Amino acid sequence: MRPVALVLVLLAAVAAGLLYGQEAVSVAMLWDGILTGEGPGALMIDTFRGPRVATAVGAGAVLGMSGALFQTLFRNPLAAPDVMGFTSGAGLAVVAATAFGLTLPMPLIAAVGGLLAGLLVALLAYRPGHSTPPLTLILVGLGVAFFTSALSTFLMTLLPYNEAAEAQRWLTGSLAARDWSHVAQVWILGTLLGAAALVQARRLEVLELGEDLAAGLGLKVEQARWGISATGVLLAATGVAVAGPVPFVALMSGPLGARITCAKSGTGRMLSAAGAGAVVLVLSDLAARAALPGIVLPAGVMTGILGAPYLLWRLSREMERGKL
Amino acid sequence: MNLQAQDLSLGYGDTAVVEGLTLDIPEGKMTAILGPNGCGKSTLLRALARLIKPIRGRVVLDGEDIHALNTRALARRMAILPQAPLAPEGISVADLVRRGRTPWRGFLSPWRDEDAAACAAALEAVQMTDLADRPLNELSGGQRQRAWIALVLAQEAPLLLLDEPTTFLDLVHQIDVLTLLRTRNRDTGMTVISVLHDLNMAARFNDFLVLLGPNGLVATGAPDTVLTPDNLDRAFRLKAQVQPDPVTGNPMVFPL
Repeated sequence: MRPVALVLVLLAAVAAGLLYGQEAVSVAMLWDGILTGEGPGALMIDTFRGPRVATAVGAGAVLGMSGALFQTLFRNPLAAPDVMGFTSGAGLAVVAATAFGLTLPMPLIAAVGGLLAGLLVALLAYRPGHSTPPLTLILVGLGVAFFTSALSTFLMTLLPYNEAAEAQRWLTGSLAARDWSHVAQVWILGTLLGAAALVQARRLEVLELGEDLAAGLGLKVEQARWGISATGVLLAATGVAVAGPVPFVALMSGPLGARITCAKSGTGRMLSAAGAGAVVLVLSDLAARAALPGIVLPAGVMTGILGAPYLLWRLSREMERGKL
Repeated sequence: MNLQAQDLSLGYGDTAVVEGLTLDIPEGKMTAILGPNGCGKSTLLRALARLIKPIRGRVVLDGEDIHALNTRALARRMAILPQAPLAPEGISVADLVRRGRTPWRGFLSPWRDEDAAACAAALEAVQMTDLADRPLNELSGGQRQRAWIALVLAQEAPLLLLDEPTTFLDLVHQIDVLTLLRTRNRDTGMTVISVLHDLNMAARFNDFLVLLGPNGLVATGAPDTVLTPDNLDRAFRLKAQVQPDPVTGNPMVFPL
Protein backbone atom coordinates (compact mmCIF):
# COMPACT_ATOMS: atom_id res chain seq x y z
CA MET A 1 0.00 0.00 0.00
CA ARG A 2 2.64 2.50 1.05
CA PRO A 3 4.64 2.46 -2.23
CA VAL A 4 1.49 3.77 -3.86
CA ALA A 5 1.74 6.85 -1.63
CA LEU A 6 5.19 7.63 -3.01
CA VAL A 7 4.00 7.21 -6.61
CA LEU A 8 1.07 9.57 -5.93
CA VAL A 9 3.34 12.16 -4.31
CA LEU A 10 5.66 11.97 -7.32
CA LEU A 11 2.81 12.41 -9.80
CA ALA A 12 1.51 15.38 -7.81
CA ALA A 13 5.01 16.91 -7.74
CA VAL A 14 5.37 16.48 -11.50
CA ALA A 15 1.94 18.07 -12.10
CA ALA A 16 2.82 20.98 -9.82
CA GLY A 17 6.17 21.37 -11.58
CA LEU A 18 4.37 21.72 -14.93
CA LEU A 19 1.61 24.01 -13.68
CA TYR A 20 3.51 26.47 -11.52
CA GLY A 21 6.56 28.66 -11.87
CA GLN A 22 7.04 32.34 -12.49
CA GLU A 23 3.65 32.19 -14.19
CA ALA A 24 1.02 29.58 -13.50
CA VAL A 25 -0.83 27.87 -16.32
CA SER A 26 -4.24 26.38 -15.72
CA VAL A 27 -4.92 22.66 -15.80
CA ALA A 28 -7.26 23.29 -18.75
CA MET A 29 -4.52 25.05 -20.74
CA LEU A 30 -2.06 22.28 -20.00
CA TRP A 31 -4.59 19.62 -20.94
CA ASP A 32 -5.44 21.45 -24.12
CA GLY A 33 -1.74 21.62 -24.93
CA ILE A 34 -1.37 17.88 -24.44
CA LEU A 35 -4.37 17.12 -26.68
CA THR A 36 -3.79 19.58 -29.49
CA GLY A 37 -0.04 20.09 -29.29
CA GLU A 38 -0.58 23.81 -29.68
CA GLY A 39 -0.97 26.93 -27.53
CA PRO A 40 0.74 27.98 -24.29
CA GLY A 41 0.10 24.57 -22.66
CA ALA A 42 2.00 22.78 -25.40
CA LEU A 43 4.80 25.32 -25.20
CA MET A 44 5.14 24.66 -21.47
CA ILE A 45 5.29 20.91 -21.99
CA ASP A 46 7.45 20.81 -25.11
CA THR A 47 9.91 23.58 -24.42
CA PHE A 48 9.89 25.19 -21.00
CA ARG A 49 8.79 23.08 -18.10
CA GLY A 50 8.43 19.63 -19.66
CA PRO A 51 12.10 18.83 -20.25
CA ARG A 52 13.03 20.61 -17.04
CA VAL A 53 10.71 18.51 -14.89
CA ALA A 54 11.54 15.29 -16.74
CA THR A 55 15.25 15.96 -16.24
CA ALA A 56 14.64 16.69 -12.55
CA VAL A 57 12.77 13.38 -12.16
CA GLY A 58 15.63 11.45 -13.79
CA ALA A 59 18.45 13.28 -12.02
CA GLY A 60 16.70 13.12 -8.63
CA ALA A 61 16.08 9.41 -9.07
CA VAL A 62 19.69 8.51 -9.92
CA LEU A 63 21.04 10.69 -7.12
CA GLY A 64 18.58 9.20 -4.63
CA MET A 65 19.40 5.66 -5.64
CA SER A 66 23.11 6.37 -5.42
CA GLY A 67 22.61 7.72 -1.89
CA ALA A 68 20.70 4.60 -0.82
CA LEU A 69 23.47 2.37 -2.22
CA PHE A 70 26.21 4.07 -0.22
CA GLN A 71 24.11 4.46 2.92
CA THR A 72 23.36 0.75 2.95
CA LEU A 73 26.87 -0.28 1.93
CA PHE A 74 28.52 1.78 4.69
CA ARG A 75 25.66 1.29 7.15
CA ASN A 76 25.61 5.00 7.82
CA PRO A 77 22.94 7.57 6.87
CA LEU A 78 25.68 10.17 6.34
CA ALA A 79 27.32 8.14 3.58
CA ALA A 80 26.07 9.78 0.40
CA PRO A 81 27.87 10.75 -2.82
CA ASP A 82 27.24 14.44 -2.16
CA VAL A 83 28.75 14.28 1.34
CA MET A 84 31.67 12.09 0.29
CA GLY A 85 32.87 14.22 -2.59
CA PHE A 86 31.81 12.03 -5.53
CA THR A 87 29.38 14.59 -6.96
CA SER A 88 31.80 17.48 -6.46
CA GLY A 89 34.49 15.35 -8.13
CA ALA A 90 32.18 14.90 -11.10
CA GLY A 91 31.47 18.64 -11.04
CA LEU A 92 35.17 19.47 -10.99
CA ALA A 93 35.77 17.26 -14.02
CA VAL A 94 33.07 19.08 -15.98
CA VAL A 95 34.41 22.52 -15.05
CA ALA A 96 37.96 21.41 -15.88
CA ALA A 97 36.82 20.07 -19.25
CA THR A 98 35.14 23.40 -19.98
CA ALA A 99 38.15 25.40 -18.86
CA PHE A 100 40.57 23.38 -20.97
CA GLY A 101 38.22 23.14 -23.94
CA LEU A 102 37.73 19.36 -23.92
CA THR A 103 34.67 18.37 -25.93
CA LEU A 104 33.73 14.93 -24.66
CA PRO A 105 30.19 13.86 -23.71
CA MET A 106 29.21 15.34 -20.34
CA PRO A 107 28.21 12.03 -18.67
CA LEU A 108 31.59 10.54 -19.56
CA ILE A 109 33.48 13.48 -18.09
CA ALA A 110 31.31 13.47 -14.95
CA ALA A 111 31.76 9.70 -14.58
CA VAL A 112 35.54 9.96 -14.81
CA GLY A 113 35.55 12.79 -12.24
CA GLY A 114 33.28 10.90 -9.86
CA LEU A 115 35.29 7.70 -10.13
CA LEU A 116 38.59 9.55 -9.59
CA ALA A 117 37.15 11.23 -6.49
CA GLY A 118 36.00 7.82 -5.25
CA LEU A 119 39.44 6.30 -5.81
CA LEU A 120 41.05 9.25 -4.05
CA VAL A 121 38.80 8.71 -1.01
CA ALA A 122 39.55 4.97 -0.95
CA LEU A 123 43.27 5.62 -1.33
CA LEU A 124 43.49 8.32 1.35
CA ALA A 125 41.48 6.23 3.82
CA TYR A 126 43.44 3.04 3.11
CA ARG A 127 45.52 1.50 5.86
CA PRO A 128 47.30 -1.75 4.99
CA GLY A 129 45.95 -4.82 6.76
CA HIS A 130 42.85 -3.14 8.16
CA SER A 131 39.42 -2.67 6.75
CA THR A 132 38.52 1.01 6.76
CA PRO A 133 35.72 2.03 9.14
CA PRO A 134 32.85 3.70 7.23
CA LEU A 135 33.09 6.85 9.32
CA THR A 136 36.73 7.31 8.25
CA LEU A 137 35.64 7.03 4.62
CA ILE A 138 32.89 9.59 5.17
CA LEU A 139 35.22 12.10 6.83
CA VAL A 140 37.93 11.62 4.21
CA GLY A 141 35.20 12.05 1.57
CA LEU A 142 34.10 15.27 3.21
CA GLY A 143 37.67 16.52 2.88
CA VAL A 144 37.80 15.49 -0.78
CA ALA A 145 34.48 17.30 -1.34
CA PHE A 146 35.90 20.56 0.00
CA PHE A 147 39.11 20.12 -1.96
CA THR A 148 37.40 19.42 -5.29
CA SER A 149 34.93 22.29 -4.78
CA ALA A 150 37.84 24.64 -4.11
CA LEU A 151 39.57 23.45 -7.28
CA SER A 152 36.37 24.05 -9.26
CA THR A 153 36.18 27.59 -7.94
CA PHE A 154 39.82 28.14 -8.86
CA LEU A 155 39.29 26.83 -12.40
CA MET A 156 36.32 29.15 -12.85
CA THR A 157 38.67 32.11 -12.60
CA LEU A 158 40.29 30.90 -15.82
CA LEU A 159 37.00 31.20 -17.70
CA PRO A 160 35.69 34.31 -19.43
CA TYR A 161 33.12 36.22 -17.40
CA ASN A 162 29.96 34.84 -19.03
CA GLU A 163 31.10 31.27 -18.98
CA ALA A 164 32.24 31.62 -15.38
CA ALA A 165 28.79 32.84 -14.37
CA GLU A 166 27.25 29.91 -16.22
CA ALA A 167 29.65 27.48 -14.53
CA GLN A 168 28.88 28.99 -11.13
CA ARG A 169 25.18 28.46 -11.71
CA TRP A 170 25.74 24.90 -12.88
CA LEU A 171 27.97 24.07 -9.90
CA THR A 172 25.19 25.14 -7.53
CA GLY A 173 23.00 22.52 -9.18
CA SER A 174 20.66 23.87 -11.80
CA LEU A 175 18.02 22.62 -14.18
CA ALA A 176 17.90 25.76 -16.27
CA ALA A 177 17.80 25.40 -20.07
CA ARG A 178 17.34 21.63 -20.13
CA ASP A 179 16.07 20.15 -23.39
CA TRP A 180 14.85 16.71 -24.42
CA SER A 181 18.39 15.52 -25.16
CA HIS A 182 19.17 15.91 -21.44
CA VAL A 183 16.01 14.00 -20.61
CA ALA A 184 16.93 11.14 -22.94
CA GLN A 185 20.46 11.07 -21.58
CA VAL A 186 19.58 10.86 -17.90
CA TRP A 187 16.68 8.46 -18.42
CA ILE A 188 18.58 6.02 -20.62
CA LEU A 189 21.76 5.98 -18.52
CA GLY A 190 19.69 6.01 -15.34
CA THR A 191 17.66 2.99 -16.43
CA LEU A 192 20.77 0.99 -17.33
CA LEU A 193 22.64 1.87 -14.14
CA GLY A 194 19.50 1.48 -12.04
CA ALA A 195 19.10 -2.04 -13.39
CA ALA A 196 22.75 -2.73 -12.53
CA ALA A 197 22.10 -1.49 -9.00
CA LEU A 198 18.99 -3.64 -8.56
CA VAL A 199 20.88 -6.72 -9.76
CA GLN A 200 23.36 -6.09 -6.93
CA ALA A 201 20.66 -5.60 -4.30
CA ARG A 202 20.96 -9.16 -3.02
CA ARG A 203 24.71 -8.78 -2.51
CA LEU A 204 24.09 -5.55 -0.67
CA GLU A 205 21.63 -7.31 1.65
CA VAL A 206 24.25 -9.92 2.47
CA LEU A 207 27.03 -7.34 2.96
CA GLU A 208 24.79 -5.60 5.47
CA LEU A 209 25.25 -8.55 7.83
CA GLY A 210 28.94 -7.71 8.24
CA GLU A 211 31.86 -8.80 6.09
CA ASP A 212 32.63 -12.03 7.97
CA LEU A 213 29.12 -13.40 7.70
CA ALA A 214 28.88 -12.18 4.10
CA ALA A 215 32.08 -14.07 3.27
CA GLY A 216 30.70 -17.13 5.06
CA LEU A 217 27.59 -16.91 2.89
CA GLY A 218 29.75 -17.18 -0.21
CA LEU A 219 30.11 -13.54 -1.18
CA LYS A 220 33.37 -12.22 -2.61
CA VAL A 221 33.28 -9.28 -0.25
CA GLU A 222 35.85 -6.93 -1.80
CA GLN A 223 34.61 -7.55 -5.31
CA ALA A 224 30.98 -6.94 -4.30
CA ARG A 225 31.91 -3.76 -2.46
CA TRP A 226 33.80 -2.31 -5.41
CA GLY A 227 31.00 -3.24 -7.81
CA ILE A 228 28.37 -1.53 -5.70
CA SER A 229 30.56 1.54 -5.13
CA ALA A 230 31.29 1.94 -8.84
CA THR A 231 27.59 1.64 -9.68
CA GLY A 232 26.77 4.24 -7.02
CA VAL A 233 29.38 6.70 -8.31
CA LEU A 234 28.20 6.29 -11.92
CA LEU A 235 24.58 6.84 -10.90
CA ALA A 236 25.53 10.03 -9.10
CA ALA A 237 27.66 11.19 -12.06
CA THR A 238 24.71 10.62 -14.40
CA GLY A 239 22.68 13.03 -12.28
CA VAL A 240 25.51 15.56 -12.10
CA ALA A 241 25.93 15.51 -15.88
CA VAL A 242 22.43 16.94 -16.39
CA ALA A 243 21.74 18.85 -13.19
CA GLY A 244 25.13 19.77 -11.75
CA PRO A 245 26.29 18.65 -8.31
CA VAL A 246 23.00 19.49 -6.56
CA PRO A 247 23.68 19.15 -2.85
CA PHE A 248 21.90 16.86 -0.39
CA VAL A 249 19.40 15.16 -2.74
CA ALA A 250 21.31 11.87 -2.45
CA LEU A 251 21.75 12.34 1.30
CA MET A 252 18.06 12.92 2.05
CA SER A 253 16.34 10.56 -0.36
CA GLY A 254 17.19 7.15 1.12
CA PRO A 255 15.77 7.78 4.61
CA LEU A 256 12.87 9.82 3.22
CA GLY A 257 11.89 7.15 0.68
CA ALA A 258 12.13 4.31 3.21
CA ARG A 259 10.02 6.36 5.63
CA ILE A 260 7.26 6.78 3.04
CA THR A 261 7.19 3.25 1.62
CA CYS A 262 8.31 1.29 4.72
CA ALA A 263 10.48 -0.78 2.34
CA LYS A 264 12.81 -3.27 4.00
CA SER A 265 14.35 -5.21 1.13
CA GLY A 266 17.38 -3.87 -0.71
CA THR A 267 15.44 -3.53 -3.97
CA GLY A 268 12.54 -1.79 -2.22
CA ARG A 269 14.79 0.70 -0.48
CA MET A 270 16.63 1.58 -3.69
CA LEU A 271 13.41 2.17 -5.61
CA SER A 272 11.99 4.21 -2.73
CA ALA A 273 15.12 6.34 -2.65
CA ALA A 274 14.88 6.89 -6.40
CA GLY A 275 11.25 8.02 -6.06
CA ALA A 276 12.00 10.28 -3.12
CA GLY A 277 14.98 11.80 -4.95
CA ALA A 278 12.77 12.63 -7.91
CA VAL A 279 10.19 14.26 -5.63
CA VAL A 280 12.83 16.28 -3.76
CA LEU A 281 14.49 17.59 -6.91
CA VAL A 282 11.26 18.39 -8.79
CA LEU A 283 9.84 20.28 -5.80
CA SER A 284 13.13 22.04 -5.02
CA ASP A 285 13.39 23.19 -8.62
CA LEU A 286 9.78 24.37 -8.53
CA ALA A 287 10.34 26.29 -5.31
CA ALA A 288 13.55 27.77 -6.68
CA ARG A 289 11.86 29.08 -9.79
CA ALA A 290 8.57 30.20 -8.19
CA ALA A 291 9.78 31.64 -4.86
CA LEU A 292 10.93 35.10 -5.94
CA PRO A 293 9.14 37.15 -8.60
CA GLY A 294 11.40 37.90 -11.53
CA ILE A 295 14.25 35.71 -10.28
CA VAL A 296 14.80 32.05 -11.18
CA LEU A 297 17.15 30.53 -8.62
CA PRO A 298 19.17 27.36 -9.32
CA ALA A 299 17.53 24.26 -7.80
CA GLY A 300 20.66 23.61 -5.74
CA VAL A 301 19.93 26.71 -3.64
CA MET A 302 16.68 25.08 -2.53
CA THR A 303 18.11 21.60 -1.91
CA GLY A 304 20.84 23.33 0.09
CA ILE A 305 18.30 25.18 2.21
CA LEU A 306 16.42 21.91 2.79
CA GLY A 307 19.46 19.69 3.11
CA ALA A 308 21.72 21.62 5.45
CA PRO A 309 19.27 21.55 8.40
CA TYR A 310 18.64 17.88 7.63
CA LEU A 311 22.39 17.19 7.76
CA LEU A 312 22.68 19.01 11.10
CA TRP A 313 19.72 17.08 12.51
CA ARG A 314 21.26 13.81 11.26
CA LEU A 315 24.62 14.66 12.80
CA SER A 316 23.12 15.45 16.18
CA ARG A 317 21.04 12.27 16.08
CA GLU A 318 24.05 10.13 15.19
CA MET A 319 26.00 11.78 18.00
CA GLU A 320 23.21 11.00 20.47
CA ARG A 321 23.25 7.38 19.38
CA GLY A 322 27.00 7.37 19.94
CA LYS A 323 27.85 6.59 16.34
CA LEU A 324 29.98 9.70 15.84
CA MET B 1 33.58 -33.17 5.57
CA ASN B 2 37.05 -33.64 6.91
CA LEU B 3 38.66 -30.43 8.11
CA GLN B 4 42.36 -30.29 8.92
CA ALA B 5 44.91 -27.66 9.83
CA GLN B 6 48.33 -28.51 8.47
CA ASP B 7 51.38 -26.80 9.97
CA LEU B 8 49.34 -23.63 10.33
CA SER B 9 50.93 -20.33 11.34
CA LEU B 10 48.58 -17.41 11.87
CA GLY B 11 48.92 -13.80 12.79
CA TYR B 12 48.33 -10.21 11.89
CA GLY B 13 51.16 -8.31 10.25
CA ASP B 14 54.48 -9.54 11.59
CA THR B 15 53.29 -11.02 14.89
CA ALA B 16 52.44 -14.70 14.78
CA VAL B 17 49.64 -15.67 17.17
CA VAL B 18 49.60 -19.36 16.33
CA GLU B 19 52.62 -21.25 15.02
CA GLY B 20 52.99 -24.62 13.34
CA LEU B 21 49.62 -25.98 14.42
CA THR B 22 48.42 -29.30 13.04
CA LEU B 23 44.93 -30.45 13.83
CA ASP B 24 42.37 -32.95 12.62
CA ILE B 25 38.78 -31.98 13.38
CA PRO B 26 36.66 -35.13 13.88
CA GLU B 27 33.81 -35.42 11.41
CA GLY B 28 30.23 -35.33 12.64
CA LYS B 29 31.27 -34.32 16.15
CA MET B 30 31.07 -31.26 18.35
CA THR B 31 34.46 -29.59 18.78
CA ALA B 32 35.27 -26.68 21.09
CA ILE B 33 38.34 -24.47 20.88
CA LEU B 34 39.41 -23.31 24.34
CA GLY B 35 42.16 -21.20 25.83
CA PRO B 36 42.99 -17.95 27.61
CA ASN B 37 42.27 -14.54 26.07
CA GLY B 38 44.77 -13.62 23.39
CA CYS B 39 45.94 -17.17 22.69
CA GLY B 40 44.51 -17.13 19.19
CA LYS B 41 41.26 -19.11 19.59
CA SER B 42 39.25 -16.80 17.37
CA THR B 43 42.18 -16.40 15.00
CA LEU B 44 42.29 -20.18 14.58
CA LEU B 45 38.54 -20.34 13.97
CA ARG B 46 38.74 -17.50 11.46
CA ALA B 47 41.53 -19.32 9.62
CA LEU B 48 39.50 -22.55 9.56
CA ALA B 49 36.62 -20.49 8.12
CA ARG B 50 38.85 -18.90 5.45
CA LEU B 51 38.28 -15.42 6.87
CA ILE B 52 42.03 -14.91 7.18
CA LYS B 53 44.95 -16.22 5.15
CA PRO B 54 47.57 -18.20 7.04
CA ILE B 55 51.15 -16.92 7.10
CA ARG B 56 52.27 -20.48 6.56
CA GLY B 57 50.62 -23.89 6.26
CA ARG B 58 47.11 -24.57 5.09
CA VAL B 59 43.58 -25.52 6.02
CA VAL B 60 42.36 -28.56 4.14
CA LEU B 61 38.75 -29.56 3.55
CA ASP B 62 38.34 -33.08 2.14
CA GLY B 63 41.86 -33.00 0.75
CA GLU B 64 41.67 -29.54 -0.83
CA ASP B 65 43.20 -26.28 0.39
CA ILE B 66 40.20 -24.09 1.30
CA HIS B 67 41.83 -21.08 -0.34
CA ALA B 68 41.72 -22.95 -3.65
CA LEU B 69 37.97 -23.54 -3.41
CA ASN B 70 35.25 -21.50 -5.08
CA THR B 71 33.74 -19.08 -2.53
CA ARG B 72 30.16 -20.10 -3.13
CA ALA B 73 30.93 -23.81 -3.26
CA LEU B 74 32.71 -23.47 0.08
CA ALA B 75 29.70 -21.65 1.54
CA ARG B 76 27.54 -24.66 0.68
CA ARG B 77 29.83 -26.90 2.70
CA MET B 78 30.80 -24.61 5.55
CA ALA B 79 28.72 -22.04 7.46
CA ILE B 80 30.19 -19.43 9.79
CA LEU B 81 28.60 -17.42 12.56
CA PRO B 82 30.97 -14.60 13.56
CA GLN B 83 31.09 -13.23 17.07
CA ALA B 84 29.27 -9.98 16.33
CA PRO B 85 27.26 -10.12 13.10
CA LEU B 86 25.50 -6.89 12.16
CA ALA B 87 21.73 -6.70 12.11
CA PRO B 88 20.20 -4.46 9.43
CA GLU B 89 17.81 -1.92 10.94
CA GLY B 90 14.28 -3.19 11.47
CA ILE B 91 14.89 -6.61 9.89
CA SER B 92 12.48 -9.40 10.82
CA VAL B 93 13.61 -12.85 11.94
CA ALA B 94 12.21 -14.44 8.77
CA ASP B 95 14.05 -11.96 6.53
CA LEU B 96 17.26 -12.56 8.40
CA VAL B 97 16.99 -16.34 8.06
CA ARG B 98 16.18 -16.03 4.36
CA ARG B 99 19.61 -14.48 3.77
CA GLY B 100 21.10 -17.80 4.86
CA ARG B 101 20.01 -19.20 1.50
CA THR B 102 22.45 -16.95 -0.38
CA PRO B 103 24.96 -19.64 -1.43
CA TRP B 104 22.17 -21.75 -2.94
CA ARG B 105 20.57 -18.99 -4.97
CA GLY B 106 21.71 -17.85 -8.39
CA PHE B 107 22.36 -14.24 -9.32
CA LEU B 108 18.76 -13.61 -10.30
CA SER B 109 17.08 -16.89 -9.46
CA PRO B 110 13.70 -16.64 -7.75
CA TRP B 111 12.83 -17.90 -4.30
CA ARG B 112 12.22 -21.67 -4.59
CA ASP B 113 10.23 -24.14 -2.50
CA GLU B 114 13.42 -25.73 -1.22
CA ASP B 115 14.62 -22.34 0.04
CA ALA B 116 11.36 -21.85 1.91
CA ALA B 117 11.56 -25.38 3.31
CA ALA B 118 15.13 -24.86 4.54
CA CYS B 119 14.16 -21.62 6.29
CA ALA B 120 11.09 -23.20 7.88
CA ALA B 121 13.18 -26.13 9.12
CA ALA B 122 15.84 -23.78 10.51
CA LEU B 123 13.27 -21.72 12.39
CA GLU B 124 11.71 -24.93 13.68
CA ALA B 125 15.10 -26.19 14.88
CA VAL B 126 15.66 -23.05 16.97
CA GLN B 127 12.00 -23.01 18.05
CA MET B 128 11.30 -19.60 16.63
CA THR B 129 8.60 -20.37 14.07
CA ASP B 130 6.06 -18.27 15.96
CA LEU B 131 8.50 -15.34 16.23
CA ALA B 132 9.34 -15.31 12.51
CA ASP B 133 7.62 -12.01 11.74
CA ARG B 134 8.98 -10.15 14.75
CA PRO B 135 11.70 -7.52 14.27
CA LEU B 136 15.05 -8.86 15.47
CA ASN B 137 15.84 -5.83 17.65
CA GLU B 138 12.70 -6.35 19.73
CA LEU B 139 13.82 -9.80 20.84
CA SER B 140 15.83 -10.82 23.91
CA GLY B 141 19.55 -11.60 23.62
CA GLY B 142 18.93 -15.34 23.71
CA GLN B 143 16.24 -15.16 21.04
CA ARG B 144 18.44 -13.00 18.85
CA GLN B 145 21.29 -15.48 19.05
CA ARG B 146 18.89 -18.30 18.11
CA ALA B 147 17.74 -16.26 15.11
CA TRP B 148 21.35 -15.86 13.96
CA ILE B 149 21.86 -19.61 14.40
CA ALA B 150 18.73 -20.20 12.32
CA LEU B 151 20.35 -18.14 9.55
CA VAL B 152 23.43 -20.38 9.42
CA LEU B 153 21.28 -23.52 9.74
CA ALA B 154 19.24 -22.40 6.72
CA GLN B 155 22.55 -22.40 4.86
CA GLU B 156 22.39 -26.23 5.13
CA ALA B 157 26.14 -26.69 5.28
CA PRO B 158 27.38 -29.92 6.89
CA LEU B 159 30.04 -27.94 8.76
CA LEU B 160 29.24 -25.09 11.15
CA LEU B 161 31.78 -22.79 12.78
CA LEU B 162 30.75 -20.43 15.58
CA ASP B 163 32.86 -17.73 17.22
CA GLU B 164 31.90 -17.47 20.91
CA PRO B 165 28.20 -18.20 20.37
CA THR B 166 27.42 -18.08 24.10
CA THR B 167 29.57 -15.17 25.31
CA PHE B 168 26.84 -12.57 25.80
CA LEU B 169 24.23 -14.99 27.16
CA ASP B 170 23.20 -15.90 30.69
CA LEU B 171 23.56 -19.50 31.89
CA VAL B 172 20.09 -20.64 30.87
CA HIS B 173 20.46 -19.25 27.35
CA GLN B 174 23.98 -20.67 27.06
CA ILE B 175 22.58 -24.13 27.77
CA ASP B 176 19.73 -23.39 25.40
CA VAL B 177 22.05 -22.57 22.51
CA LEU B 178 24.48 -25.42 23.15
CA THR B 179 21.63 -27.95 23.51
CA LEU B 180 20.20 -26.77 20.24
CA LEU B 181 23.55 -27.23 18.49
CA ARG B 182 23.97 -30.64 20.14
CA THR B 183 20.52 -31.75 18.95
CA ARG B 184 21.22 -30.59 15.45
CA ASN B 185 24.58 -32.39 15.50
CA ARG B 186 22.93 -35.64 16.63
CA ASP B 187 19.98 -35.37 14.22
CA THR B 188 21.83 -34.40 11.06
CA GLY B 189 25.45 -35.38 11.69
CA MET B 190 26.52 -31.75 11.26
CA THR B 191 30.08 -31.07 12.40
CA VAL B 192 30.11 -28.16 14.85
CA ILE B 193 33.22 -26.20 15.79
CA SER B 194 32.91 -23.40 18.30
CA VAL B 195 35.12 -21.10 20.31
CA LEU B 196 33.96 -21.21 23.92
CA HIS B 197 35.05 -19.60 27.17
CA ASP B 198 33.33 -21.73 29.77
CA LEU B 199 35.38 -24.89 30.31
CA ASN B 200 32.60 -26.81 32.07
CA MET B 201 30.05 -26.00 29.37
CA ALA B 202 32.59 -27.00 26.74
CA ALA B 203 33.22 -30.33 28.47
CA ARG B 204 29.53 -31.03 28.84
CA PHE B 205 28.46 -30.39 25.24
CA ASN B 206 31.47 -31.34 23.15
CA ASP B 207 33.08 -34.57 21.98
CA PHE B 208 36.44 -33.07 21.17
CA LEU B 209 38.36 -30.21 22.74
CA VAL B 210 41.23 -28.15 21.34
CA LEU B 211 43.09 -26.45 24.19
CA LEU B 212 45.39 -23.58 23.27
CA GLY B 213 47.84 -21.88 25.60
CA PRO B 214 50.09 -18.83 25.33
CA ASN B 215 52.71 -20.94 23.55
CA GLY B 216 50.45 -22.76 21.14
CA LEU B 217 48.57 -26.04 21.24
CA VAL B 218 48.42 -27.69 24.69
CA ALA B 219 46.20 -30.71 24.07
CA THR B 220 43.48 -32.13 21.86
CA GLY B 221 41.09 -35.00 22.46
CA ALA B 222 38.08 -36.05 24.49
CA PRO B 223 37.15 -33.71 27.37
CA ASP B 224 38.44 -36.03 30.11
CA THR B 225 41.85 -36.34 28.51
CA VAL B 226 42.20 -32.62 27.77
CA LEU B 227 40.87 -31.02 30.94
CA THR B 228 43.54 -32.25 33.37
CA PRO B 229 45.14 -30.16 36.14
CA ASP B 230 48.44 -30.30 34.29
CA ASN B 231 47.00 -29.07 30.97
CA LEU B 232 45.01 -26.31 32.69
CA ASP B 233 48.19 -25.09 34.34
CA ARG B 234 50.00 -25.01 31.01
CA ALA B 235 47.18 -23.29 29.15
CA PHE B 236 45.84 -20.84 31.74
CA ARG B 237 48.47 -20.96 34.52
CA LEU B 238 45.51 -22.07 36.55
CA LYS B 239 45.88 -24.31 39.59
CA ALA B 240 42.75 -26.42 39.60
CA GLN B 241 41.25 -29.74 40.55
CA VAL B 242 39.19 -31.68 38.07
CA GLN B 243 36.27 -33.80 39.32
CA PRO B 244 33.51 -35.60 37.45
CA ASP B 245 30.38 -33.48 36.99
CA PRO B 246 27.79 -35.02 39.38
CA VAL B 247 25.06 -34.74 36.74
CA THR B 248 26.71 -35.95 33.55
CA GLY B 249 30.04 -37.39 34.65
CA ASN B 250 31.99 -35.00 32.39
CA PRO B 251 35.11 -33.40 33.81
CA MET B 252 34.44 -30.29 35.84
CA VAL B 253 37.09 -27.73 36.73
CA PHE B 254 37.44 -26.38 40.27
CA PRO B 255 40.01 -23.57 40.47
CA LEU B 256 42.09 -23.72 43.66
